[in-house]
Amino acid sequence: MCLRDFAFWLLRDWTMVCQMGKVERREASARPQLGPSESEPCAMELDGILVSLNQLCENGVVEVSRLQQVLVKIGMQPGDVDMVLNSMQQGGRIKMAEFAAWISGRPRSTVPWTDNIILATDSYKFSHWKQYPPGTEYVYSYFESRGCDRDGWNDVVFFGLQYFLKRYLAGQVISQEKIDEAVTMCSEHFVGNGLFYKEGFQYILDKHGGRLPISIKALPEGTVVPTKTALFTMVNTDPKCFWLTNFLETLLVQVWYPMTVCTNSRYQKLAIHEALRETGHSDWAIGGTAFKLHDFGFRGVSSVESAALGGAAHLVNFLGTDTVAALLCTKRYYHAKKAAGFSIPASEHSTITSWGVQKEVDAMRNMLLQYPAGLVACVSDSFDVFKACREYWGDSLKDMIKGRISGDSWGRLVVRPDSGDPSETCVQILQILCEQFKEDVTLTSTGHRLLPQYLRVIQGDGVDYASIPKIFNALKSAGFAAENMVFGSGGALLQKLNRDTFKCAFKCSEITIAGKAREVFKDPVTDKGKASKKGRLTVQKADETIGREEDRYQPRQGESGVPGGHGFLHYSADGQYVTVASGKGDLAKDLLVEVFRDGALLKDWTLDEIRQKADIPNGPFSQA
Amino acid sequence: MGAVCGAPAVDAMEAADPGAVSGMPFRSALLDNIMLLSDSYKTSHWRQYPPNTTEVYSYFESRGGKFDEICFFGLQYFMKRYLQGQVVTAEKINAAERIVNAHMGLGEMKHFNREGWEYILQKHGGKLPIVIKAVPEGMVVPVKNVLMTVVNTDPKCFWLTNYLETLLVQVWYPMTVATQSRAQKKVIMDAMMKTGTDLKAMPNKLPAPAKLITVGFQLNDFGCRGVSSMETACIGGAAHLVNFCGSDTMPGLCMAVDYYNLPLASVQGTSVPAAEHSTITSWTKAGEKDAFKNMLTQYPEGIVAVVSDSYDIYNACDQLWGNELKDLIASRAPPTGRLVVRPDSGDPKTIVVDVLERLAKHFPVTTNAAGYKVLPPYLRVIQGDGISYESLQEILSNMAAKHWAAENVLFGSGGALLQKMDRDTQKCAFKCCEAVVDGKPRPVFKDPITDQGKKSKQGRLKLVRREGKITTLTDGQGDEKEDLLVEVFRNGQITKTWTFADVRAQSEVGLPVAIFDVTSD
Repeated sequence: MCLRDFAFWLLRDWTMVCQMGKVERREASARPQLGPSESEPCAMELDGILVSLNQLCENGVVEVSRLQQVLVKIGMQPGDVDMVLNSMQQGGRIKMAEFAAWISGRPRSTVPWTDNIILATDSYKFSHWKQYPPGTEYVYSYFESRGCDRDGWNDVVFFGLQYFLKRYLAGQVISQEKIDEAVTMCSEHFVGNGLFYKEGFQYILDKHGGRLPISIKALPEGTVVPTKTALFTMVNTDPKCFWLTNFLETLLVQVWYPMTVCTNSRYQKLAIHEALRETGHSDWAIGGTAFKLHDFGFRGVSSVESAALGGAAHLVNFLGTDTVAALLCTKRYYHAKKAAGFSIPASEHSTITSWGVQKEVDAMRNMLLQYPAGLVACVSDSFDVFKACREYWGDSLKDMIKGRISGDSWGRLVVRPDSGDPSETCVQILQILCEQFKEDVTLTSTGHRLLPQYLRVIQGDGVDYASIPKIFNALKSAGFAAENMVFGSGGALLQKLNRDTFKCAFKCSEITIAGKAREVFKDPVTDKGKASKKGRLTVQKADETIGREEDRYQPRQGESGVPGGHGFLHYSADGQYVTVASGKGDLAKDLLVEVFRDGALLKDWTLDEIRQKADIPNGPFSQA
Repeated sequence: MGAVCGAPAVDAMEAADPGAVSGMPFRSALLDNIMLLSDSYKTSHWRQYPPNTTEVYSYFESRGGKFDEICFFGLQYFMKRYLQGQVVTAEKINAAERIVNAHMGLGEMKHFNREGWEYILQKHGGKLPIVIKAVPEGMVVPVKNVLMTVVNTDPKCFWLTNYLETLLVQVWYPMTVATQSRAQKKVIMDAMMKTGTDLKAMPNKLPAPAKLITVGFQLNDFGCRGVSSMETACIGGAAHLVNFCGSDTMPGLCMAVDYYNLPLASVQGTSVPAAEHSTITSWTKAGEKDAFKNMLTQYPEGIVAVVSDSYDIYNACDQLWGNELKDLIASRAPPTGRLVVRPDSGDPKTIVVDVLERLAKHFPVTTNAAGYKVLPPYLRVIQGDGISYESLQEILSNMAAKHWAAENVLFGSGGALLQKMDRDTQKCAFKCCEAVVDGKPRPVFKDPITDQGKKSKQGRLKLVRREGKITTLTDGQGDEKEDLLVEVFRNGQITKTWTFADVRAQSEVGLPVAIFDVTSD
């Protein structure tokens, strides 16, 4: 045993594990706080150490110097000890409880809570098992988008459920340890006893081996459907677990996020396609929209997991991304082969400004020299983007740029402005660049000016669904082709969205009590947009559905109208789809597919399949 | 995994991933690879700094935005979760190299900085040679001040500072949530004090800390389903808990317990049993009264909240609560026995007062010393729909105009509390401000003519208090001793740990009263 190793372990290096007084080296690549393989190393031994350390205390407090001596004696480096103790001491003393909490990190629990499905929920859900009518056996609920306020945004792309199923729900997800940990947490979290339904989870563990007795049906991922269509439905398969359906609501409603990112990104793809078409573009394969909207959103989202999930949703529509986490997500959860998206070397302000104001041109030259072939993007607004375009790119570095395409070598410089009004700045920059490189500028079939192949512009600031058409219009009126541009979008692509963007909701529509099914709905007088559908649901193509006019759904008429309205055929606004309520649909024509049952994933969509389904008409993934 | 779909083929990269080989292929720690927690273009930056660069020093600030001061919170999570200890291993280098080189460029060259990462593995045992200094967590700082600085400690690792930008900038999120939630706490406290709740005179002693109970549950976190992922729920939920106690976001609670040593005992009573629409509508419309009654009888003691707008909130208030179930409600045992009526639709500005007026017709209302009406102690209202920083003020002023005390109503907020904000809300940015090249430090800044607001600071920075005001000194000015920035991370180790109590104490500086200063004597 190496004492230095022991000291490392005490300092939470976590690559060493102490076992019964001796230390064995173990290859452990897990990080301390999250992930499956991070069981707490030898909590017992740690407890033993802490008991000894406690003997040093009076009233739970120990002198720094005393603790220091002991820690050095058992093998810690004096420097390390000082650093740790100095940060914790107050007036030369240390509270042992604080020290113990710090050194053991998670003294109470043995299961990482991020993998504990019992805790991945809203607190009030724990109280719901007592609240359903007596004799309840089945609770059937569904998820839908209740519409979007943005003009013309009538469709959604269904995407992301598979991530949640694989990450959180598939397989044995309930264990004794997880139940015990949840008991501890909940007994403190709620006032009063008995609010946590331990028996319910224990039953799932004992009867179902910890697998969730739930059936989920969903539209195939990548399907584009009008809003107000049921997107997935859920029901418990064991009548004793009636409370489980809506317990899972909190987690599964988070599907709003990948679905909304994906839809928002797809509408931008449509806008870009249209602008390209209008200004004479005709290559709709890889040279079409596929690389025109690049994901810059990693730093602007609220967590790494959101980056992974949101970034994957963007990759359903495009091939350009800087959000590396999305590559891992699509690979792991959607069978993406190799990299699902691509990027290129690019500068940031620090790599330009660190050369100094006077040497901006040298920083730019360095970019061209370091990356002599292929694409390279360079931020050019550190000081004066117009000067950079005219004097640096358009003059002193011009020959190097022109030389990027010669013989077998193919390369391109992408100039990036990053401030100012996007429309004005892009027009001004294109004017300057077209002037400086005029000998190689061409005209498209519609007569719009197009930069030479070795030169493009990327706008990555202030880009969203509203500004893209605006920028394109400004370019078009100034005589420039859309093909000159590439966009990067961060916050607007992955963060500036919320559950209300597509009004996503999860509602119970049927309950079975003592063998008898009854329809359930809400229909508040105070907001008719919140009326929910009734009974069991199927989603069908309208032209495959025989419906009578009087069965068409009519919402509640005024405050005194019949709550829940009339009829069961919920036609989509475009008349193409119909959600058939009240169990009156035809299961053989149902577009909802069972994807999950009793802990098992029944359907496993690949990114390739999803991309083709979600592609826009004549889009890059629909080409032969 | 189910019988129908097998686990995906495990390739070399996944084989290096502990999750993949432990039989849990989808719960892997694959994202636990610091080399991949960055923007793609960062993988190319090591070639782009000036020759002989040995140090890159960068800082993080809020360049302004919705609020004039921010509450700094969340860095400790990112450090503990992603940065501390050995984060670079040979397996992780191989995994990252495969991904990056397949992803970057057209195959004309290798962009992954294998040499650089191997150096960190060999020379530093896989620990990051970086120093991070930051404002104490919870501290309230005016915008346009330095909040965090990052610099490499090994001259060969100059490229590492900004490689970490992507991850560290995500601190914008917990910081913005904590900032906005704190602003709402201020609004609520002001409204309560104006409408007759004498917060300043309240004792805050165990076992019944009156201030904590009165204010701490006024804004409850309903945001778990409305955020973009469970990790976001963890981070955002904890950020709200900096200011309040009431939360339904379990993951947020777990995060505060795990990463900030929030003692489990102190999370007591942070949520209450409450109905959702399904547990009411499943009794059918005709059975709504039975559903309500069931809530009162299942939870005979303490607080219980019941959503009451499934069909007609006015009928629920007048007929069900105000008439048929009135005696059951009035008999709930004081002091904690209480029904909380929840409307969940309609215009939040008016619906709250409407519901209060309806209830007042049926229950005895008293008038407090300031002349505002108060429902009996066994009855309150919670508004959990459409609550934001803005609507909160409108509702409270509407209530005051109709002479209703603020204490009658609790609030729940979901999307607005945890999701409807972005990095631009407080214009958060991370910029390089000094580089050492050829052995000489040089100030670094950007100053685009196209946007003056994006000008960045230069040189070494310190955050100091001058004449009572917090301000940033640039260009290495000032004395180390007066620097409010604290070193929190050095060479793989966290050098200062804040507890949740520390964070809360800091965050209450500048509020009309403190609610977390609970004493036991």
